[in-house]
Amino acid sequence: MPGLATLIAANPRPRQRPTRYVVAILVAAVLVVVMIANSVLDFAYFDTIPGRTSLYGLLAVALVALATYVGVRAFDRDPKTRARHLVRAGVLLGLAALLWLLFSDVFLFAGSAGPGVAVACTLACVPTTAFGLFVVRRLDRNEKEPWRLVLVAAAWGAIVATSLVVWGESLWEAVAVRTLVPGPGLDASRAFSAGLLEELGKGTAVLLLFLVMRNEFDDVVDGIVYGAAVGLGFNFMESIAYMTNIYAVLSPEGAGGVAAGFQWYARQVLGLFMGHATYTALIGAGIGIARQLPSRRRKVIAIVMGFLAAIAAHFSWDAWLSFFPIESSLLGLVEVHLRTVLMTGPFTAGVVVLLVLGLRNESAALADQLRKEAALGGGTVLPQEVAILTSPWKRWRERMRAVDRGNVRAYFTLARLQAAQLDLAMERWHRERQEIDTPLEAEDELRRQILKLRGQAAF
Amino acid sequence: MVPKQKKAADTAIRGRPIRGRLKALTRLAGVAAGPRDPVFTLYRTLLAYGAVAILILLAGAAEFIYFEPFGKPAGITVHIAGVYRYDPTTHKTLGPDQRTFTRSDSFAAVVDWSGLPDSITVQAIWYDAFQNVVGGVGPGRPSELSADTVIPAKVAEGLKYHLPGQYIFAVERLDGNLPVEVLGRRIVLVER
Repeated sequence: MPGLATLIAANPRPRQRPTRYVVAILVAAVLVVVMIANSVLDFAYFDTIPGRTSLYGLLAVALVALATYVGVRAFDRDPKTRARHLVRAGVLLGLAALLWLLFSDVFLFAGSAGPGVAVACTLACVPTTAFGLFVVRRLDRNEKEPWRLVLVAAAWGAIVATSLVVWGESLWEAVAVRTLVPGPGLDASRAFSAGLLEELGKGTAVLLLFLVMRNEFDDVVDGIVYGAAVGLGFNFMESIAYMTNIYAVLSPEGAGGVAAGFQWYARQVLGLFMGHATYTALIGAGIGIARQLPSRRRKVIAIVMGFLAAIAAHFSWDAWLSFFPIESSLLGLVEVHLRTVLMTGPFTAGVVVLLVLGLRNESAALADQLRKEAALGGGTVLPQEVAILTSPWKRWRERMRAVDRGNVRAYFTLARLQAAQLDLAMERWHRERQEIDTPLEAEDELRRQILKLRGQAAF
Repeated sequence: MVPKQKKAADTAIRGRPIRGRLKALTRLAGVAAGPRDPVFTLYRTLLAYGAVAILILLAGAAEFIYFEPFGKPAGITVHIAGVYRYDPTTHKTLGPDQRTFTRSDSFAAVVDWSGLPDSITVQAIWYDAFQNVVGGVGPGRPSELSADTVIPAKVAEGLKYHLPGQYIFAVERLDGNLPVEVLGRRIVLVER
């Protein structure tokens, strides 16, 4: 048994770190208070339709919070009970989503567009959002984030973040339309409201993930993945709201279906990545970079910069959309695409730059750690495996070879082995950079797991 | 230990103590010579994005201030008698002052221009729920607009009914061609 001093030296922890769970609890408590006050005040003073939805939707929000708690607890349990906890979390999340859709349907749109339209709009948005989440998750080519966390992020974006902004935006709107000169000034004010409040609402979800699930939040790449997932969830709910609303508005004119279809295309195809996903990915990138910075001052600056970039990106779209008018002719179809590419494209390109840089750093660091682990000679990583593990393409080819040699099960066993080896490299990387909370025993446990998996894979 | 070596390099070159600017330069050289953390490249990139973001938000604030200039309001208000149902064939209003209308209702605001000084330029505008201008009079001096006391909200081009949502009727004071102040305002709701 190594002595305590040896363990502490091998597992250095920055002193005087604020307990992040306490920060997370504080953020969550503020969220709960804001949300309840938001819903009650909106209901009492404005009685807007979204306000009513928000009040009745509190139950759905509570279910999401409970599902997140159960899901997070699952990680502390042994694998036998973990599955049960994850199933519970999944059921709670599913119930919350259904309940929220029911509330939106009944209180927002059933009176005008009708439940059939609401269901049709929802069904139209499910495959595109699912595709978006699939692509976003695959961006992390070295260590894919668990589906459960990606889905929790999307659910927070769809249900919690949308609820958070209702009161703020209603209050802002009520004051603005009564005090400002209608026109560009009022438009700019609305754009500030949307940029600030919606990005703060969505960003809080990413911040909570960062505080609570630090082990699954490694770097800028993970930040972009979680941020984009939250944005896709928000975009999902907003798309349904806009589609059903525009259907209700234009159906008496006989153009409801076409208008809703156009909204779907603009938000779920053209704006799937170039919209909320980009904005919240910028927040995630800031938090992801902060994760790996040594000083607290720089961490705060990185997080603030991420938020500022997201707010500015969102603001510029809402405020300056009218500078790119769309003609009602065939040329308009080209203009719609050009407008999105010109206005949101640069921000999406900015996210891609951070992603590419992040992936390059991560790949180099993992390769280095895998080589160091192989040099230990413990059998967890073999020298000839380093080149395979650092290339997603070679990893896949190796898994396919395993299928040729054995069966489909061999494919999955090897996939688990490769994932565990990369987890170990990631753990080593964080420990080397002195940015890890987990004890050294966790790393040794990972090694034991790898050796067990290697035995199962018959290597 | 690394810190001790660093201190030694900082405090002496060929046995002489280093002071002032030279000390600062030696420290700078020490930083440059250290291993470059790629996370700082990401950090600097993010700082650049943040700088661009600040510029965008400042441009937005400038736009807002241009259209909502700070300054003393003229202290003038216009009397809006109300918003009434409107008969487009007779150009007359009907019934009591209302705050809500149905999509198929025609409605108009009634303005009393007589209380405004003739030295200012004004206009009255109807904005629909999508911020489209759907009616109005002016710009002109209040005496020039005195015949236009009933200002109807028109149905947006290409539509059969009013769009649902909040409609804003605003009487604005202009400076040059720019509306700078709302002298009177009414908000009505067109129900779904």
